[in-house]
Amino acid sequence: MTLRRTLALLLLLPSLAAAQSTSPEEQARGLLEDGRNYRTQGKLKQAMDNFQTIVSGFPNTSYVDDALLEIGRYYLEVDGDVAKARESFERVTKQFPQSDGAPGAYYYLGRLTMDRASSAADLDDALAQFLRVQRLYPRSEWVPRALYATALAHRKSGKLAEATDDARRVALEHPSSDAAPAAQFELAQDLALGGEFRQAMEEFQQVRNRYADSEWAPRALDRITALYRLYGAGKPAFAADPAFSVGTGDTLKDVRGIVMTPARTLWVASDKTKSAVPFGPDGKMGPSLAGEDLQGVGLTPGGDLVVVAARAVRFGPKTLQTFAIPGNKPGETEPLEKLAAAVVTQGGSVLVADEKKKKVFRFDGRYQYQGVFGDAKERQVSRIVLDSEGGIVMLDRDEKTVRVWDEAGRALRAIATRGPGYDLRKPIDVAVDAFRNAYVVDEEGAVLVFSPAGQLLASIGAPELKKPRAVALEPSGAVLVYDEKLQRILRFK
Amino acid sequence: MRVTRAVVPAVLLVVCFAVPSTPQEPPAAPPAAPPSESTQRELQAAQDLLARAMAEFEGPQQSRSIVQFDEIITRLEVLRRTGTLPARGREILSTAYELRARAYYNIGLQEKAADSFRSLVQLNPQYAVSKERVSPKIVEYFNSVKKALVGYLAVSSKPAGAKVTLNGEFLSLTDFFPLEVLAGEYTVEVTREGYRTETRTVSIAPKATQTLQVDLTRTSASAFVVTQPAGVEVWVDGQLRTTTTGSPGPESVETLREKGLDPTKASARTELANLSLGAHTLEFRKKCHEPVKRTINAPEAQDYETEPVKMEESLASLQLRSEPPGGKIFLDGEAMGITPKDLEGICSGKHRIEVKHTSGKFIQDVQMNKDESITLDCPIRPSLAFLGVVAESAAGERVAPEVEEKLTENLSAKITSLNFVPAPRDAVDRVLEAEKLTRRSLLPGGGAEPDVVKKVTEKLKAALDVQGFLLALLPGEKLQRTAVLELLAAGNTDPDSWDVTFGESASYMRFLSAVDRKARLSRPWTGLITVDTLLHEGVPVLRVVPGSPAAQAGLEPAEVLTAVDGKPVKQTLDFLTAVEGKKAKEKLSLHLKGAQGAARAVDLTLAETPQEIPLNDPSLLYNKVMMDLRQQVDGYPGTETAAFARLNLAICAMHFGDFAAAHEHLLKARTELPTRPGISQGTALYYLGLALERLGYKKEAVDAYRAAAGFKDATLFNNDGPSVAPLAARRAGP
Repeated sequence: MTLRRTLALLLLLPSLAAAQSTSPEEQARGLLEDGRNYRTQGKLKQAMDNFQTIVSGFPNTSYVDDALLEIGRYYLEVDGDVAKARESFERVTKQFPQSDGAPGAYYYLGRLTMDRASSAADLDDALAQFLRVQRLYPRSEWVPRALYATALAHRKSGKLAEATDDARRVALEHPSSDAAPAAQFELAQDLALGGEFRQAMEEFQQVRNRYADSEWAPRALDRITALYRLYGAGKPAFAADPAFSVGTGDTLKDVRGIVMTPARTLWVASDKTKSAVPFGPDGKMGPSLAGEDLQGVGLTPGGDLVVVAARAVRFGPKTLQTFAIPGNKPGETEPLEKLAAAVVTQGGSVLVADEKKKKVFRFDGRYQYQGVFGDAKERQVSRIVLDSEGGIVMLDRDEKTVRVWDEAGRALRAIATRGPGYDLRKPIDVAVDAFRNAYVVDEEGAVLVFSPAGQLLASIGAPELKKPRAVALEPSGAVLVYDEKLQRILRFK
Repeated sequence: MRVTRAVVPAVLLVVCFAVPSTPQEPPAAPPAAPPSESTQRELQAAQDLLARAMAEFEGPQQSRSIVQFDEIITRLEVLRRTGTLPARGREILSTAYELRARAYYNIGLQEKAADSFRSLVQLNPQYAVSKERVSPKIVEYFNSVKKALVGYLAVSSKPAGAKVTLNGEFLSLTDFFPLEVLAGEYTVEVTREGYRTETRTVSIAPKATQTLQVDLTRTSASAFVVTQPAGVEVWVDGQLRTTTTGSPGPESVETLREKGLDPTKASARTELANLSLGAHTLEFRKKCHEPVKRTINAPEAQDYETEPVKMEESLASLQLRSEPPGGKIFLDGEAMGITPKDLEGICSGKHRIEVKHTSGKFIQDVQMNKDESITLDCPIRPSLAFLGVVAESAAGERVAPEVEEKLTENLSAKITSLNFVPAPRDAVDRVLEAEKLTRRSLLPGGGAEPDVVKKVTEKLKAALDVQGFLLALLPGEKLQRTAVLELLAAGNTDPDSWDVTFGESASYMRFLSAVDRKARLSRPWTGLITVDTLLHEGVPVLRVVPGSPAAQAGLEPAEVLTAVDGKPVKQTLDFLTAVEGKKAKEKLSLHLKGAQGAARAVDLTLAETPQEIPLNDPSLLYNKVMMDLRQQVDGYPGTETAAFARLNLAICAMHFGDFAAAHEHLLKARTELPTRPGISQGTALYYLGLALERLGYKKEAVDAYRAAAGFKDATLFNNDGPSVAPLAARRAGP
C-alpha cells in the first residue's frame, strides 16, 4: 500500500469507528441485559463474565452498581462465598449510595446476616439493613422485598405480631411486587402460628386467589387442608384412607422411622433391610441408603435427609458422620455409639441424642463438639425433630414427655405425660406439623395430636392402629403411621 | 367696489359647496384606490390652506385670499396632472377655483375671474355656483363662462343600467338625462354585464346636446328563481351566487298557490344573472332544510323562469346522557342545557357536541340525518394539557421542536381515556410568569416549592380548563432519543414518569396502555368466603360477611359449594371467576352440600364492593388515577361513589408521600362513607390514623386508631378484606 493510501486509511478509520461504535453507557447497558438473560438461562459463568466486564471495563457508567449487585448475588447463590458476596454488596453501598443498586445491596446484606443469624443481635443487625432500604429508598422496588425480609426476621426473633404486620403491609401495599406471594403466605403462616386459624386459612386462600401461578399456591393448599382438618369444622377428625398402600415385604419390617419430604417422597428406615428406602408420590420405590442399626430418619432445615444409625448419622446421600465427645482425659475422645436421634438445627448446629449417655450433645456445622444441649438432666431422648420456628422438639421416653427447646437450649414448653383427655403410656415417636402441633405416637395404640400449648386436639387410633411405631406428616396434614403389628403404613386424612 | 358679503361660517360655506346645485347628479363613480401618504399630506395641507384662505376671503381684505388660493391650486394641479388627485382633492380644488374667481371678480379683474371659472368648468363640467349664496352677477358670469365650454350628452340603453364611460372615465349609468360635458371629441363606451360592450364616437359642441340610444346585445342568460322559504342560498355550479330574499309580488301570488307554495312564505323572484350558455347545476341550500338540486339548460341568451323550489325541513333529535351527569351541553358552541337532555328540532348535518363538566369534557362530531334520532352517551373524560418539551442540554434544545411534533403525533387522538389538548403557549406562559416559574419548575428538581407547584397547577387547571398536564423532558445525560414523559395531575406535585424513544411509534404503546388503564374501583360481590382443601369435592364456606348477599341468601359456614350457574366448582378461583363475569344486581345460582351431605340450590343477587387502589402498583400511573378519581368526586358529589373516590384519593396521596393531602381527603371521606360492614368510616379512620402518624401527630393518630377499632365490621382493601378493628387496636397500643 502506498504511503498516501495508508495515510488516507488512517485518517478514515476514526470516523468509521465513530460511525459504528455505541457509547459506553449503551455498551454497559447491553452487557448488563445480556448478563441477566444468561443468568435466567442458567449460563451463570457467562453472566458473571458480563458483570465483571462492566465493573472493570466501564467503571464510569451508571451500570456499575447493578453489575456489582449481580456479582454479589452470584457469589452468594452460586459459589456460596459469603465473604466475597458481602464485599461486593458493601462496595455498592459505600461507593454508590445514591444508585438504583444501593437498596438491593442493603437488602442482600440484611439477608446474609439474617440467614446465618445465631443471636438476637444478628437479627437486629439484619433488621437495621432492611429498615434502611425502606427509609432511604421509599420508592425503590426493593422495599417490598425488604419488608418481607423484615417479617421473616421478626418471626425468627419470635415477634409474631410484628411479623404479621410486616407481611400484611407487603400484601396490602405492594400486591403486585415479586415479594407479594411469599409475603401473603408468610402473613397466613404468622396468623396460624398466632392461633388465628380461620384468618390464617383465609389468608392462605388469598395466596391461591391472587397468586395462583406462584410456587406458593400449592403450598398454601396444603396449609389450608391441614388447618381445615384441625380447625375448620368442629372437632378435628382423622379417617383412615383405605386406598393408601406403600411398600411391601421387608421394607415394612422393623421400621424405625418414617418421614415425608416437601416433595412428597416418603422415606422408610427399615432395620430389616438395613436401609432407608424412598417411595415417590406415585408409590414407586427409589434407590435406598444403607445403614446399620437404624434408629430413625428426619430432614434438615434445607430438606435433606438425615438417617440416624446407632454409630453414625447420614446427612444427605454423601455425608456419613460419626460423633465423639471429649473423654475423661484431656485430648481423649469417646465415640458415641448408641445414637438414638439426631437433628440439624436452623442455626446449623447438629444435635445428637445418645442412649447410653442419656444426654443430647451439640456439635457445630463442622461436627465439632460444642457441649451438652439443654439442661444437665439425664434424658432418654428417642426422637428429636424441628418445628417450623426452629424449636427443637424432643421425645423423652423415660419421662414420657415431649419438650420443646430453643436454639440456645432454653426450655420453651412441654407436653406433660398426662392431661385432660390423655395419658402418654409409651410414647415412641413424634412429628410436628407446620403449625407446631405435635403428633405423638403412643405404642399402646394411638397417635395423639397436641396444640403448641400442649392441649390435646385429636386422637388417631382405634380401631385401625394396633401397635403404632412411627409417624410422619404429609404437607397437607394427613398422618402416616407405621404399625409394627400390622407391618403396614396407614394413612389418616 | 365694495362687496357686500354675508358673514357665513366657513363650515356652512363648505357645506353649501358640497350640496349638489343641479337637479340631476350623475351617480358616484366607482371607488378608487386609497391615496398615498404623500398625497394625503398634500391634501391635508391644501385643506388647511383652504380654511385660512376662506377666512381671509370672508375678511375685510378679501383680495389677500387670492394668493392663498393660488397656492392651493398650484399644489393640487400637480396631483391632478399626475393623475393622483382623489375626489376630495377635486372638491378642494373646485372650491379654490370658485373662490379665487369670485375674489378676482370682486376686485374688478373679470378676465382673471373668467380664467378661474374656465379652469373650474374644465375640472368639473357639471359644477354649479350656488344662487343662494353667491351674488346673481357672479352666478350669471360663471354660467356664461361655462356655456362657452360645455355641451350636453344623454345616453340611454336597452336594457338600462349600463355603465357609460367617456374616454375611459366613468360618466353615469343609463338611462340619464343630458349631463354637462366639456365640448370635444369622445369615445363613449356602454357596458353591462351579460351584454356586449358598445362603443360610439361623439363630438360635443358647446351648448349642443348629443343623444345616444344604444341597444345592447345579450351575451348571457338569466334564470329567475323563487323559493319557499326565503333566505335560501342558491349555488350555481358549486359557487354561491345569491340568497333569495323578500316576498313575491302580487302578480305571482296566484301562480305560486297553484304550484303548492305559500305566498306568505315564498321569496321574491330572484335573478341569477350572467349565466353562460349551456347547462348549469343549481343547488338550493338552507340550514335545517334538505338541499335541492336542479339542472337548468340555457342554450340562448335570454331569461329563463324556473319552477319554484319548496324546501323541506330537515331536522333530527338528539338524546344526550353523560357520566357523570350535569354536564353543560354545547351544540356548535351554543349552550343547550345540562345532561341528561333531549334536544328536538336540530338541523341535520354535521355538529360538534361538547359536554363540559368540572371534571372534564366530552367532544364529538356527529352527523345527523333527516328524522334521525340519536342517543349519545357522553362519557366525561378528564383533559390532559400538553405543556411542551423541556430540554436540559443544548442538544436537547435543538431537537425539542421535532420532539414536540412527534409526541403530539403519537399521543393526540390515541389516548382514549383523556382529552389530549395541546396547551396554548401564551396562556401557560402567563400563568407561569406570574409566579416567576418555568415549565421545568413544575417537575421534581425544578427548584420550586411543592406548595407553589400545587398552586400553579391549580391555576393552570382553571386557565386551560383541564385536569392534568403532560410535559416531556429531554434529560441531558441520556442519549437524545429518549424523552421522559411526566404526567402530573392538577394539585399534585409528583409526576409519573415514563421513558419513550420519541422517534419510534411502538415505544408509545406501553405508555398509552398504562394511561388508558382504568384502576378497578369496584367489583361484583357476594360476601361468601370459601377455601380450597384436599378434603372436599368443591370448596367449603369458611365465612359469610354479615349483611352481604351471601348472608341474605342464608348461606352458612361449613356448607360446601359444588357448582355455580351449573358449572362445577373445584377450587375457589372457579367461583370467583364466575362472580367476576357478572355485574351487581345480577343473579348467581349456587349449589351446595350441607354438613350432613344434603344438597341444596340457592339464588344469590350480587352486590358491589368498593375496591381500594393498592398503595404501590408499578403498573399504575397514579396521577392519571387521581384525575379519574377527582372526576368521580366532582361528578357525583354527596354520593357514596364520591366518598369511595376520596378514600382512594387519600391512598394516592399517600403513595406520593403527601400525607397532608391524604389527611384532607380522609377528613371528608370519613363523614361521607357508610357505616355498614366493609369499606366504611372505620376504614377512613384507620388510614387517617396512618396519615396523622406520618405527619407526627401521635396523639391524634392514636385517637383515630381507637375510633377505627370501634368499627367492628370495617375492612380494608374491599368488603371481604382484613378487619380494621384488630389492626387499629394494635396500632393504638394499650
